[in-house]
Amino acid sequence: MAAENEVQIHSEDARLAEEAAGRAIEEVARIEAKYSRYRDDSVVARINSRAGGAPVALDAETRALLAFADACFRQSSGAFDATSGVLRRAWRFDGGAVPTDAELAPLLALIGWGKVELNDAGARLPLAGMELDFGGFGKEYAVDRAARVLRDAGLRSAMVNLAGDLAILGPQPGDAPWRVGIRHPRRADALLATLPVSSGAIATSGDYERYIEAGGVRHCHVLDPRTGRSARGFQSVTVHAPTCLVAGSATTIAMLKGGRDGLAWLDMLGLTHLCVLESGEVVNRFGG
Amino acid sequence: MAATDRDGSALAALVHAALALPILALPAKAGAAAVGEVGVTLLGYKERGLMKITEPVIWGRVQFAEVWEVQASAAVDIITGASPQLVSNALGKPVQTITGASISDRRNTGDLKVTRRFGDLALSASRTLSKEEDYHSKAFGLEARLDLNQRNTTIAAGYGKSNDRILSADDPNLNERRDTREYLAGVTQVISPTSLVQSTITWARGTGWYNDPYKLTFTFFDAGLPILAPDRRPDHRDTLAWLTRYRAHFPAAHGTLQADYRFYRDDWGIRAHTLEVAWQQELNERWALRPALRYYTQDAADFYSPTVPRPQPPVQSSDQRLGAWGGVSPSLRATWRLDRLTLEATLGYVHNARNLRFGGGGADAFETLRAWYGIVGATHSF
Amino acid sequence: MKRTRFAILLVAAATLAGCVAVQPYQRGYLAREDMALEANPGTMKALEKTYSAKEAASGGASVGGGGCGCN
Repeated sequence: MAAENEVQIHSEDARLAEEAAGRAIEEVARIEAKYSRYRDDSVVARINSRAGGAPVALDAETRALLAFADACFRQSSGAFDATSGVLRRAWRFDGGAVPTDAELAPLLALIGWGKVELNDAGARLPLAGMELDFGGFGKEYAVDRAARVLRDAGLRSAMVNLAGDLAILGPQPGDAPWRVGIRHPRRADALLATLPVSSGAIATSGDYERYIEAGGVRHCHVLDPRTGRSARGFQSVTVHAPTCLVAGSATTIAMLKGGRDGLAWLDMLGLTHLCVLESGEVVNRFGG
Repeated sequence: MAATDRDGSALAALVHAALALPILALPAKAGAAAVGEVGVTLLGYKERGLMKITEPVIWGRVQFAEVWEVQASAAVDIITGASPQLVSNALGKPVQTITGASISDRRNTGDLKVTRRFGDLALSASRTLSKEEDYHSKAFGLEARLDLNQRNTTIAAGYGKSNDRILSADDPNLNERRDTREYLAGVTQVISPTSLVQSTITWARGTGWYNDPYKLTFTFFDAGLPILAPDRRPDHRDTLAWLTRYRAHFPAAHGTLQADYRFYRDDWGIRAHTLEVAWQQELNERWALRPALRYYTQDAADFYSPTVPRPQPPVQSSDQRLGAWGGVSPSLRATWRLDRLTLEATLGYVHNARNLRFGGGGADAFETLRAWYGIVGATHSF
Repeated sequence: MKRTRFAILLVAAATLAGCVAVQPYQRGYLAREDMALEANPGTMKALEKTYSAKEAASGGASVGGGGCGCN
């Protein structure tokens, strides 16, 4: 998957813009390193390696991120679960087969945000083999932090875009909105829509990034922690929210609820959204 | 979680948790870049001692279905006061004389333009109607614009036709026509991210009645009887107008330079130049101020003469609009903007005189014009 | 007429030669209202009335506008 990461800034002070962009990019790299499950020295790796053992002390940032994950768990009736990462051991999206119930069962036993112990001592995963995965919100947090860095530098017209999860500080010169292209879920080089956005964050989840097609059914990488199976009902969901964290978790939760339930949840939530249902039907709440 | 959560507590919970982190809540604003605008404008124009014009205008522009745009406007010109009717040399030198009572005239005009985009090509058709007691005009226009070079270059071509009917408030038997065909070619070029230029040529060929039914020349001679000649002009007119506009924004100065130059010539012998330079200064997010200076100069028509020549030619006019003169017009415009509303107020002064003609040699009997005008307008975009 | 046409080509060539290809995302300044080539339709009509009623010259960047008595 070609992932483009970019920072676009409009400013009369070129040097200020370049410095701020550099710092924003450094912040993204810092967060990526701190919460990467691929790095041995990351906070996530330390917590996961001590699963079944002693708690790991947490700093304020990690504590607050886990509190956010907790809020998402509760608002989604358990669909959004930061311990669901273990499912990737059974799902191979690069040419594998759909896993059987037998293969999923032992992994499901290791999932359950409710089991995670969070207290003053830190975070503890009670069962060996359990894992915390920040993949569901790490990138969105990085977008929000990068936007904060740019705003703190005094910039007012900027966009941070990490592979489709983006935050916009303010309109382009002349009060013109930024034009955000939303990828079409079925046509590789086409756009589903171009949304004029003056400020706020946009996140998109879809069934087209990584998937297995078997027996006429598409199994995508958004997995339900309660069943171990792929979310069904949407080809793509795009949400506009005040922060990328909220936009991203809203798209994930909507995908997991699926179809009409997901649309009802988004309407209840009150955030502007653009969705393509499994049937191809488009529901667009942008532009009134 | 409640099945129905109308008080927004689900969103509040998520946002609250997110804001425990050192991030920002950015207002989620999806601006549909405006789909259209409507506006009203009022012109008030007053010449010292002479004419007064009031013109309200209403207009609107709408885009829909991504490829269509419709633009329409309607205006009423209310003209009161006096207009020079006679050039007489009874007192030695030829002078403009106001004869007759003050006039009161109304002109209603409306136009409609429809444009459809086909990718880089935009085709337009327009219709303009104008009606006053002594002049009816019907015109249509066709225009094609093509974007090239990622919209850095746009070429335009146009064709227009007017059918006018000239009557007279004084003479019920006057009913003449005038038909004009116009052709246009132009190019707009982006020069840099902060500047662009547009250059357009318009040719027009007209045939029909060009005489002014109200203007007369009364000339006394050293010997012989005086002659009262009506205004008589050729029955055709070919014109060329070449307009070049330049716009450049200077971010460091928060201002934009706007410069327009138009060259005009026709086969009546008239050559004219118009130059307007303006600077739009942004004072803050809401206010902008635009001082401007316009200079105009024209040569006389071949058949212009404030006295009737001897032997009397078939065409002759003493209308000072065909004479040689020049004019300066300074103006100041203030703009105030809030969200979707823009208010504009312009104050201008027009000073036309024979000695302002470029190179001197202005027409005798040119009555210096001193006029003030004010334009107020409001625009709402949606 | 010929001299005019040649002058136009010269202007066109000179401007095109000095141009940079401005990318779509660099067009922010060009979209500003004060960079527009015409003021709003109401103001344009008012200004046209003010000046053209006194001047012999006419014509601008459009066709099909019709005429008036302008007395």
